[in-house]
Amino acid sequence: MKKFFKSDWFKCTAVLLGLLIVLGGTLAVLNDVLFVSPEERTARAISKFYDTTPSYEVILDADAENSKREENQFGYIEKIFEIGDETLFKSTGINGYKGGTITLWLKVVKNEQGYKIEKIVLDGYEKQTLMSKFDAKYFRTFTDVTFDYENKNSIFSPKNNGEGLTAPMTGATYSANAACNAVNCVLAYLGGME
Amino acid sequence: MKTNFKKIAKDGILTNNPTLKLVLGTCPTLALTTMAMNGIGMGAAVTFVLICSNVLISLLRKIIPNQVRIPAFVLIIATFVTIVRLLLDKLLPDIYESLGLYLPLIVVNCIILARAESFASKNPILASAADGLFMGLGFTLALTLMGAVRELLGSGAIFGVKLWDFQIGFFAQSAGAFFTYGIFIALFALISNLIEKKKKQKTLAVNEIGAEV
Repeated sequence: MKKFFKSDWFKCTAVLLGLLIVLGGTLAVLNDVLFVSPEERTARAISKFYDTTPSYEVILDADAENSKREENQFGYIEKIFEIGDETLFKSTGINGYKGGTITLWLKVVKNEQGYKIEKIVLDGYEKQTLMSKFDAKYFRTFTDVTFDYENKNSIFSPKNNGEGLTAPMTGATYSANAACNAVNCVLAYLGGME
Repeated sequence: MKTNFKKIAKDGILTNNPTLKLVLGTCPTLALTTMAMNGIGMGAAVTFVLICSNVLISLLRKIIPNQVRIPAFVLIIATFVTIVRLLLDKLLPDIYESLGLYLPLIVVNCIILARAESFASKNPILASAADGLFMGLGFTLALTLMGAVRELLGSGAIFGVKLWDFQIGFFAQSAGAFFTYGIFIALFALISNLIEKKKKQKTLAVNEIGAEV
């Protein structure tokens, strides 16, 4: 028995197990202390569009009980908040690189002529590897168009092939496809595609 | 044995600069130096992990058996990387987002495992902490300088402040990262060699005078 406790095998196992328990315990505590709640994440997203946190009306919150996300062929919308004439969408575009997704926050302003995407902020992504290309400058390419009755069937396309409005991106066309889909998902929801 | 902090500091920042001399941690160096601010963020995260992991590894160096030292080091490093992730996500979400995928990849950063294996596992706590600090500073300085040059040439800005409209897109792209890194390594080697040469000449001159006397 004494030989077993003095063996290398026992020492190695005991040290690794000891480390695992102490470090794992520390992480479990810190994970609880530093947890970022969904409400905090939403507040952070809203703060990217407004200097002070405005009061907003929740139109859709897929995280809430008995609530479902809005889906269409481009992706899905998980959150919609209304702030006066402006609406914030959390939209996820599908069919990115390796079938991954890109999630964006979009601020849409409604007026008498139609509606216009005023600002886009990246929220997150899955399986994409070239996201450093998608900076604020890229997302500004979506914000110049007002969607009135004349161009209500317009969609954004990552390829400059003359089909619809383009948001060209070379070198990361699959990811650009997902980014365009996230925007098109909101356009479809707003009725531009119906 | 007395710890030579001056030598540790010089080693970390100049003589054995992890990025420009040892060419370690190349992946984040190339990927994140599009902006100077990214260099500071990544550098600070790596420095934190280096100091903490070096201290803990040095503290446990007599307990961890030699056969399982690498898995034990990786376990310790991974824990501190996770702590950095949690802290940044909670306190500095903008930097957390800009570092993206490269933050969890600190676990496999060669600098940290190399310092754990070659320094912290053989030296006392204070020296290991100093080694972590100065190696981290050397890494941060290199990344920030490279980021500043690439940001200035690639987007005409520095630390996000636009200075002029003139920009060379090449420097903001991957090829520009390799090019800038190569130039930095060459310049660093050139300056190091010149200093070394001057030192040798000085020593020779002193020896000659000594021989004459």
